[in-house]
Amino acid sequence: MSCLEVRNLLKSFPSPDGGASLVVEVEKFSLRPEAQCAMKGESGSGKTTFLHLLAGILKPDEGEVILDGLEVTQLSESERDRLRATSIGYVFQSFNLLQGFTSLENIQLAMTFSGRSNLASHLRSDKTWAKQLLDRVGLSDRLDYYPRQLSVGQQQRVALARALANRPKLVLADEPTGNLDPQNAAKALSLLADLCRENGSSLLLVSHEDKVIDAFDRQLSWEEVNRSSGATEV
Amino acid sequence: MFESRIMVIFLLAWRGLRQYAFSSFVAAFTISMAGGLFLSTWKIKEEAQKAFVNSSGGFDAVLGARGSKLQLVLNGLFHLEASPGNLTWEQYELIRDTRGVKEAYPIAVGDNYRGFRLVGTLPTLFTEHQWKQGRNYEVRQGGRIFTDNAKEALVGDFAARKLGLTVGSQFHPYHGLDFDETKRHEDLYVVVGLLEPTGTPADKVIWIPIKGIQQMEGHDPAAAQSVSAVLLSLRGAAGFQLDMRYNKRGNQATLAWPVAATLASFFERLSWFEEILSLVAFLVAFIGALIIFATLRTVMNEKKREFAILRCLGASRMVVTFVVLSQSLLLAVFGALGSLLAYGGIGFLAARLIREQTGVVIEHLSIDLAYHFFLPVVLAIGLVSGLAPALQAYRSSLSDNLSPRS
Repeated sequence: MSCLEVRNLLKSFPSPDGGASLVVEVEKFSLRPEAQCAMKGESGSGKTTFLHLLAGILKPDEGEVILDGLEVTQLSESERDRLRATSIGYVFQSFNLLQGFTSLENIQLAMTFSGRSNLASHLRSDKTWAKQLLDRVGLSDRLDYYPRQLSVGQQQRVALARALANRPKLVLADEPTGNLDPQNAAKALSLLADLCRENGSSLLLVSHEDKVIDAFDRQLSWEEVNRSSGATEV
Repeated sequence: MFESRIMVIFLLAWRGLRQYAFSSFVAAFTISMAGGLFLSTWKIKEEAQKAFVNSSGGFDAVLGARGSKLQLVLNGLFHLEASPGNLTWEQYELIRDTRGVKEAYPIAVGDNYRGFRLVGTLPTLFTEHQWKQGRNYEVRQGGRIFTDNAKEALVGDFAARKLGLTVGSQFHPYHGLDFDETKRHEDLYVVVGLLEPTGTPADKVIWIPIKGIQQMEGHDPAAAQSVSAVLLSLRGAAGFQLDMRYNKRGNQATLAWPVAATLASFFERLSWFEEILSLVAFLVAFIGALIIFATLRTVMNEKKREFAILRCLGASRMVVTFVVLSQSLLLAVFGALGSLLAYGGIGFLAARLIREQTGVVIEHLSIDLAYHFFLPVVLAIGLVSGLAPALQAYRSSLSDNLSPRS
C-alpha cells in the first residue's frame, strides 16, 4: 500500500490573457511508506504548486490525492488543516520559522495544532520530544534562542526538527537548501533524510539544483511526472 | 502555555503585539488617554459636587446682601469670590431671633494674610456648631479658640501648614481678599490655636473675632456695624418661610437656601465645560479606535506570511482570526487599565487643585462606572476595531502568502 497516491491531478491558474494556464497535470504518482525521493524541476515549473496540492493547501481542479488512505481532495478545509497538522511535515526554502518564538516554542507550536498538546499527559512528552528533536539536530544549547539569534544553517535545522515534530507520515521539502551554503546544505540534506528514516516518514523533496537531487538514491524529473502519460511509482 | 488552544491563541496574540511594541503602545496609550478623559469628565464633576455639598460646613442657608445666591454660598461657605455686599448688625439679630433658626453665625470678610482669607466670626462657631453631624471643630493641643475683642487668630489646618503658622506666631493682616504687600494693616494678630483638619473650606481660613474685621485699622467706620453674611442652620419649615420673607416678598437681603440646590446650579453652569471635555474624549476614543485598526492592519499586512505558516502547521482560519481579535482585545484591555491609571492621575491632580483652591477634599474617586459600563465599552471598541483586520486574516489566502509559485 502506498503512503501517497495521486491520480489525474489537474491545477490551472488564470493567465494574464484571460485564459487558464495549466500548471500541474499528473496522471499517476505514488510514494511508498518510508520512501525518499528527490524531484528535480526548473523554477516556475509548478513543483511548489504540486506540493501545495499534496498538502491540501490548494485544491485541485480535478483529480485525487490520497494520503495514508485518506482522500485529501474530498476533505473540508478544517479537515485538511487537521491532516496537515497530524500527517504532513513541511520544510520551506525560507525556513518560515515564527520570529516571535524560540526554537523550542516553534516546535511546540507545531505540536499544538495536531491536538496532542490538549492532553496534559502528552504535553510533558511533547516538550521532551521537542527537546530531543532539537538535540538530534545539534541545537540542544539553542532551545531558548529566537530565530534572529540563530545562523541560517541553525534556522533550517530548527525547521527540519519542526517538520518532524508530529511524526508525520509524509515530509514535503520545497527547495530546503536554497538559502544555505554548500556545507550547510549537505548537512541539512543528510539530516533530513536521517530524520525521516528514524521517524518512518516518507520524503518528497523538490529542487532545481542537481547537487541536491544527487544526494538521494531515488531521483525523478518533475517534467517526467508532470504532463506525461503514465505512472510514476516511488 | 501550550496547554490549550485558547492559551496558544493568546500567546500568539501577545507575541505578535510584542513584535510591534511601539505601535501597540501608542494604540493602548491613546485608548488610555481617551478612557481617562471620559472617566474624569463624568466622575470628577460628580464627585466634586458631592464633596462640595458635604463641605458646606453643616449650614443649610446663607443670608447676605441682595444679589446672587451662588455668590453668597461661594463667599459664605467656601470662602471664594467677593462678598456681594453687607448686611446690618440688626439684620443679623433679626434672623438670629427668628423662630425656626437654630443657629446664626455672622461672618465678616475683607482682609487676608498672604492670600489666605481672614474671616471674622463668633467664637461660639467653634464650640457649639457641628460642621458635620456629630462633629465639632477641634483645636489642636496647646491651642485655644480666640477671645471676642482680642487680636487673636485660630488658623485652619491647610492655611497653617501653607503659611507655617504655629501657636504664638504673629502677623499683620493685609487689606482686601487678594494679597498685596503694600496694603498691610498695622494691627498685629497672634495665633492662639490651630484647627484639626476637617476637609472643608474652613481649613484654609484664618479665623478671627468678627470685631477684628469690623474694626480693623483703615476700614470704613460704617463697616463696624455690618456683616458680610450670616450662616444659618434651620429647623423644620423655616427655610420656606425665610425664602418667602427675603427672596419673594422682601428686597433687603438674599437667602441662599437650600445650599445643595444652589451648588447644583453652579455645577450645571459648568456643563458646557463637561460637554467640551466629552467631545474631546469622544474624538480621542475615535482616534484610539482608528489607531488600533491601523496598527492591526499594519501588523496584518506584515504578518500574512506568519499566519500562512501557522495555517500550514495546521492552524485553522478561526485560530488565525481569533489571534487578530485577541490582539485587539489585549490592546483594549491595556487601554482600559491605562484609562484607570490616567483617571487616577487626572483625578489626583484635580482633587489637589480643588483642595488648594477651595479647601474641599474629594476623598476618593469611585470607579463603579468602570465596572458597570466603561470596561465593556472599551473592550467593545477594541473588538470592533479588530473586526476588519480579523476578517482580512480569515480571508487571506494560505497558498499565496506562504511562498511564491515556482
